[in-house]
Amino acid sequence: MNKKVDKVKTNWPVVVLLILGLSTIVFPLYMAVVIAFKQPSEMTNSISGILSLPESWSLSNFAQAMEVTDFWRSLGNSVLITVVTVVLSILLHSMMGYAIGRNRAHSKFYKFVYLFIVSGMFVPFAILMMPLAKQTAELGLANWAGVIILYVVFYMPMNVLLYSGYLVNIPIALEEAARVDGASTWRTYWKVIFPIMKPMHATVAIITALAVWNDVMTPLVIMSGTGQNTLPLAQLNFQTQFGTNYNLAFASYLLALIPILIFYVICQKQIINGVVNGAVK
Amino acid sequence: MRGKSARYLSAALVLVMTGGLMLSGCSGSGESSGKTEIEILQYKPEAATYFDQVEEQFNATHDDIHLTIDSPNDASTIMRTRFIREDYPDIIGIGGDINYSYYVDAEILADVSDYEGMQNIKESYIDIAEALEIVPTDGTYIVPYVANAAGILYNRDMFEEHGWEIPTNWDELMSLCEEIEAEGILPFYFGFRDTWTCLAPWNGIAVDLAPADLCKQVNKGEANFTEGYAEAAEKYIQLMEYGPEDPVAYGYNDACTAFARGESAMYPIGSYAVPQILSVNPDMNIDSFVMPASDSSDGNTLNSGIDLGFCVTADCPNKEAAYEVLDFLLEDENIQAYVDDQNAIPCREGDFELAPYVDGMTEYIESGNMTDYQDHYYPSEMAADAILQTYVIDKDTDAFLARFDKDWQRYNRDIIREVQEYEENGGNE
Amino acid sequence: MKNERKRTFLLITIPILALFVCFNTIPLIRGVIYSFTNFKGFGTYDWVGLRNYMDLFTDSRVGGSYLFTFKLAICATIITNVISLILALGLNSKIRAKGFFRAAYFLPNVLGALVVGYVFQYLFTYILPALGEMIGSETLSSSLLSNESTAWFAIVIVCCWQNIAMNTIIYISGLQTVPEDVYEAGSLDGATGWKQFRHLTFPLIIPFFTINMVLCVKNFLMVFDQIMAMTQGGPAQSTESISFLIYNNGMKGGSFGYQSANAVIFFIVIVAISAAQMSISSRKEEQL
Repeated sequence: MNKKVDKVKTNWPVVVLLILGLSTIVFPLYMAVVIAFKQPSEMTNSISGILSLPESWSLSNFAQAMEVTDFWRSLGNSVLITVVTVVLSILLHSMMGYAIGRNRAHSKFYKFVYLFIVSGMFVPFAILMMPLAKQTAELGLANWAGVIILYVVFYMPMNVLLYSGYLVNIPIALEEAARVDGASTWRTYWKVIFPIMKPMHATVAIITALAVWNDVMTPLVIMSGTGQNTLPLAQLNFQTQFGTNYNLAFASYLLALIPILIFYVICQKQIINGVVNGAVK
Repeated sequence: MRGKSARYLSAALVLVMTGGLMLSGCSGSGESSGKTEIEILQYKPEAATYFDQVEEQFNATHDDIHLTIDSPNDASTIMRTRFIREDYPDIIGIGGDINYSYYVDAEILADVSDYEGMQNIKESYIDIAEALEIVPTDGTYIVPYVANAAGILYNRDMFEEHGWEIPTNWDELMSLCEEIEAEGILPFYFGFRDTWTCLAPWNGIAVDLAPADLCKQVNKGEANFTEGYAEAAEKYIQLMEYGPEDPVAYGYNDACTAFARGESAMYPIGSYAVPQILSVNPDMNIDSFVMPASDSSDGNTLNSGIDLGFCVTADCPNKEAAYEVLDFLLEDENIQAYVDDQNAIPCREGDFELAPYVDGMTEYIESGNMTDYQDHYYPSEMAADAILQTYVIDKDTDAFLARFDKDWQRYNRDIIREVQEYEENGGNE
Repeated sequence: MKNERKRTFLLITIPILALFVCFNTIPLIRGVIYSFTNFKGFGTYDWVGLRNYMDLFTDSRVGGSYLFTFKLAICATIITNVISLILALGLNSKIRAKGFFRAAYFLPNVLGALVVGYVFQYLFTYILPALGEMIGSETLSSSLLSNESTAWFAIVIVCCWQNIAMNTIIYISGLQTVPEDVYEAGSLDGATGWKQFRHLTFPLIIPFFTINMVLCVKNFLMVFDQIMAMTQGGPAQSTESISFLIYNNGMKGGSFGYQSANAVIFFIVIVAISAAQMSISSRKEEQL
């Protein structure tokens, strides 16, 4: 509607501030990269030593890290779990968010369901861990499928909160127009509401993907003994109580960071481009 | 259209997931039919390479048994989740600490006193294992495999260069520290930001000065820590004076790096730190000596406990096969390989070649003059390490001892009740 | 028509709710049952009635962990929300290399706990004290992490640093729902800068403010990773968060039953807080 082609000039003060703010991110990242290229024998406690460039920019740490973590297989498992979880989350949680968002203002039942589900966010994982380990085993779900189901449940509170919050800004008039044309609620949802929530889908996708990608505990507890690893599980190999190979570990973390960063950049575009329908309020 | 495709997608997902379920359900049992399956779950991920080799060699030489050894990270969590699922491995490899006491008490482990290989295990380590039982039992539940020892690591080259002698009692240690400081070198490094390292010097001092069974005496109501640990607590704080100004600022890794870079002459920590130190400075010449906390030179004892032992679970269907696996693990060359790999001390009798980092301790090892770590009796939720860290910060000996006694009663309530019931019943339940 | 709508909503709600109950509520109830026992996490156990709950109220360690956790959560929530709102406005304004900036500011959220722990420990142990000495500041010249009275703030810094990224994303997606013509209408009335934000932008993104507040409460009250990576509860147990205590003593240690009781109380406390928070902000939403 109002995709304005405005050539308002760049807001330079903001750019300068953003660049200054970047230093808080560049510095830790610089340290991580430098350490990932160094050898253990180059590690010191002195500031000049830790900030200095590595003696050589050899990729051997990365190669070794890939070998130790069985990189491609672990990556495959991580990607599989993350993608399936994200897709299911977008489908199921948006529906749930829709049902709740449209009804909680006038229905006691949906208000209760909303609070019930959102409060699930605050259950400390430690208390669920033992019962879940038992329950998933009983149901034959002590594998990656079980992990995915658990994720879909764990992130439901947060995502339902996000979706139902977003729906507040989507006028009900849009649906009513479709309904007047004789479309069922189900159809209206998929034809009108689901597409319009695109920026929220992208947000949910990023947040869920990130949480799943970095999670250690759930696969550790549920998938132990299956011989399958996710990347974070495999990365535990670098860390024991009595010694941590920071150089290999950092190399491996940097490798694991790339896929999720790419995913973020793609989703980010969706958040911005999602508002093609412009004025939703 | 969007609606339909989304529905197809979700249907497809459900299919994929059920498919995945069935696949993973099947793959569990297929392999190596006809053979007895033995599974070991051991808690030392740093020894994973060694255990992979053992697994391979065992399977290459045995037709009737198929062995799998799992060396996961965070094995304690994995063990607990598997216990709760009642999915017990046949053999578990654990350390001789309070978890072992709990497992014995929970009757998860099988009695292995009928295992023949037991006869070759050093008496002192069997005694250590027996002492860990909350109330005495008839059986034995662990086959001690290797031990570790903690004392003080020192920079051998630095000592030789300055002509420093290895101290044998507390006064000698103190004057050595003065001497080192006079040369402008820091005597000790500490990495107390990693709370658990607070226990390393503490254990070394406490075994010399407190009765070995102090914790058990307290549980029986016959002693208290305020008296039992008084001297150890004072000497512990004296040691702090010869470390970095703010020991809580540095972590274990910082301390290892600092010691490796020659920033301190000594580092009171177990031999497990040697690989980390050598990774920073591969040429370093490290040795260790027993913590000389006693005032007399012959009053010291080596702080050594079971680092890894194997327990057969009560659930194991085929004990004979499990024993055959243990026989294999206890063969000379396998123990030697482990010792070489992990700088450990074997628990079995025999002529093994030890790592150079324990040279200073050989005398004690050979004569069997060793005592288990005090902290093997501390329940982890009591956080004795954090209590020590607090003590390092506020240096209030009375408060430390009082708190130790108070927290001990609080966190060992169930154990104390069990012990006292046992005592009341005249020692036999 | 009306019935069809109702039926569809129920058909959506019930299966998903069932899944939730099955994998969240039922295990929770099982956990609650353990809180009345002295279960260690394995083996046999006895019923101890309300003993665990009574003990909680006399346990100074639990008390300390509540104090620390709430202090941290309040500070971190305020700092995170202020900075991420400013950042979102900045990243949403007309700037060059938008994509690059957005990706860069997202990075802290992706770096694993080991990296964050190492880098910040190094920063607090070596770099900040060196800077402190250079500028002659007494407080800065020793490590923030080794001092009982400052360690909590070091954790606040790390928590904010990591969480700002996510809150910013949510604010950015909120800002997308603010249509351009609102600004145009506003600028005709002379609303620019702070005025425009206060009276036009902010009211429209209040639902996102609510979401971010709830997520902050969740992330910071349940703080765990940062503690494990930075201090493991030290120095002198001054940074033991409630989740840390529940995990460390319940899962790693042998007091699973007792820590289950702790978790139950903690759960009730947070639910009460967020319910209050949500009802306040939903009243605000209605007002506007």
